[in-house]
Amino acid sequence: MFSRFKMLEQKENIISNSMINNHKIVIQIEHLKKSFNGNNVLKDINLTVREGENLVILGKSGIGKSVLIKCIVGLIYPDAGSLKVFGKEVAEMNPRELNVLRTRVGFIFQGNALYDSMTVRENLEFPLRRNKTITDPYVIEELIVDTLENVGLVDAIDKMPSELSGGMKKRIGVARTLILKPEIILYDEPTTGLDPLTSREISNLILKIQNKYNASSIIISHDLNCSKITSDRMMILHEGIIRTEGTFDELKSSDDEWVRSYFKID
Amino acid sequence: MNLNIKKIFRNEAPKSNHNEFDLSRFKNVESFLNEIGGLSRFTGNFFRELFRPPYEHKELLKQTYSIGLSTLPLIGITAFIMGLVLTLQSRPVMAEFGAESWLPGMVSVSIVREIGPVITALICAGKIGSGIGAELGSMRVTEQIDAMEVSGTNPMKYLVVTRVIATTFMIPILVFYSDAISFFGSYIAVNMHGFISFPLFINQAFDSLHYYDLIPATIKTFFFGFAIGIISCYKGYFSENGTEGVGKAANSAVVISSLVIFIIDLIAVQLSEVFHVFSI
Repeated sequence: MFSRFKMLEQKENIISNSMINNHKIVIQIEHLKKSFNGNNVLKDINLTVREGENLVILGKSGIGKSVLIKCIVGLIYPDAGSLKVFGKEVAEMNPRELNVLRTRVGFIFQGNALYDSMTVRENLEFPLRRNKTITDPYVIEELIVDTLENVGLVDAIDKMPSELSGGMKKRIGVARTLILKPEIILYDEPTTGLDPLTSREISNLILKIQNKYNASSIIISHDLNCSKITSDRMMILHEGIIRTEGTFDELKSSDDEWVRSYFKID
Repeated sequence: MNLNIKKIFRNEAPKSNHNEFDLSRFKNVESFLNEIGGLSRFTGNFFRELFRPPYEHKELLKQTYSIGLSTLPLIGITAFIMGLVLTLQSRPVMAEFGAESWLPGMVSVSIVREIGPVITALICAGKIGSGIGAELGSMRVTEQIDAMEVSGTNPMKYLVVTRVIATTFMIPILVFYSDAISFFGSYIAVNMHGFISFPLFINQAFDSLHYYDLIPATIKTFFFGFAIGIISCYKGYFSENGTEGVGKAANSAVVISSLVIFIIDLIAVQLSEVFHVFSI
């Protein structure tokens, strides 16, 4: 009975993966290299992300996972290789094009990066006023409330970031990104520092966002539960290259002992 | 030391520990030049963003208001004490030469030409400079500046341009305010040992002042303000290494701004002397 369920689940995974494989590529990275003071952090990165796909990248701390997603939004420029988002090379974009790209690609920071001096409302208003042509305060208010409803935090609208818990801050960070309705969302360790229950809530929120907005995501994570819930596909970054990739179940039952070691829970 | 010099003359390499010392000295020079280069590039970026729309009027007003208002009480108290002490200290010497009546004039020239602008700028470097350095530094280490950038806002324009303009235009206003309060302190001090009416005091004080006292002193305050703003923003904007870096950014913002204030003052005094000679 159990094996039958497992087979069905695997079949479902194969079907959903093949459906995603038909979608267009939104991020394409080829032979990307990046070093800092002679330390080669990213040696040869090759990956693609398709429309509506959730890609989880695993890897040890300090291995360059955050550097990789910062390259995608042009916060860091690679030393060599090609990085195309929506078919355009990021390194060749002028500031105006980069700004347009950044409205289409949301970035959720590890430490949330909420603006300390602004309330939750102002935090959400900030990107909206700068990137959308909406000036009507009622429309802006409606958008803010609607986005906060999506993350379940309408009551926190007039609070300062210092008054929020870690999980709430994470949700507001997600809301601030969502308000621009990005087509790609980059999550930098979304569940780090959160208790298991809140981590699960955030993971479910990521999944909910993917279903609602059909956004593609790259999720940098150490959290296996989060990876299991959110991933369509996973990659393991090791010594500057993508060492292996596959679905959660494929990697978990890999023949390679080293890959399986990532999934061991003491 | 002598041994090393002898070795250098004999084309021998000095001992390794001395060698390291020399290398570190070169590293200091290199980092100093890097800092100058970085600051120059940052200043260039500031001027490029200054004239490029969109303009952040709301943030500029907010910064101008907070920089000006937050410093008013501190400047007021310091300026009052400055005027009072300067007069009390100068009075015995002036009295010795029977020139007590020149006291308001002497104090006004000292305050307007030198003490007012420099002391006010130094207080602002401490109060405003450390504030900007720490604020931008913590925004940098908590990735708020990156968040601003990825949300399509130019942080250079939003954070730096607004703050530098605010300091450039608020410091001269604060200096005028400080001069006025110092005059009042001086008036109180003069009246401690005698009596002089306020209109007469002001009359004597302004009689000693000329346009070549006032104009160079006012012009240099704009440079003081600009230096405080740009240096503090630069140190904060590029702060690194977490909270330790924020502290360092705030600290070096104050130290470097104070040093630059004295350098600007030195140049301003020399230039105003030259123009004074030409005007005569």
